[in-house]
Amino acid sequence: MNDLSRQFAARKVERRRQLAALPVGEKLRMLEDMVAMARAISATRPAGPARPVLGKAKPGAR
Amino acid sequence: MEKIFALLNQMEADGVIGRYAIGGAVGSIFWLEPITTKDVDVFVMLPTIPGGLLLALGPIYDYLLARGCAPQGQFIVIEGWAVEFLPPGTPLVEEALLRAVERDVNGVATRVFTAEHLAAICLEVGRPKDHDRIIRFVEAGALDAAVFEDILQRHHLLERWTKFQQAYLEP
Repeated sequence: MNDLSRQFAARKVERRRQLAALPVGEKLRMLEDMVAMARAISATRPAGPARPVLGKAKPGAR
Repeated sequence: MEKIFALLNQMEADGVIGRYAIGGAVGSIFWLEPITTKDVDVFVMLPTIPGGLLLALGPIYDYLLARGCAPQGQFIVIEGWAVEFLPPGTPLVEEALLRAVERDVNGVATRVFTAEHLAAICLEVGRPKDHDRIIRFVEAGALDAAVFEDILQRHHLLERWTKFQQAYLEP
């Protein structure tokens, strides 16, 4: 990992800490927003690739 | 989400479920930054069917269906969220349920697994997403080392923790 990647990773960790410190009610509201956005994105999902990578997760992989 | 917690409290008060606590991703949000999930895991002491060992989910469904909730696979949809009621499947989860802590969410009390129990359960389950969550717990500084190691020791997870540290955490 180079210096820039290290700085980037450190900023990510700091941002996560800031978000973790928010009140629980606010964090749950953010989760509700994320789920609503994910549903909206799913509704507009484009057609899949012509030659998709195929595979099946091993039991317990997820 | 608060409406779900209020309903769970009511179910507990009405004797439909025993002690409950929130686990999984939603439980983790109490200690970490928001992480996305599609369902709410409610761990619950369930009454057993008299004379048998089978857990009685029927009364929970009857109670919730009568209040307008709809079943969806192994979930039941409450306030738009897929909620799953889970009995504690291992001694670790059973302990997590017994030692869950009370938290207030906008004036509604609820019960949630401690950060240390959530991380230990992630280590026990061991899927990639569980590993990711443990890293988040560590990076957030959310785990008390003494409490966490005590749990790991009692549930024979110390060796797994050592391997996890070697694989994923900087010394």
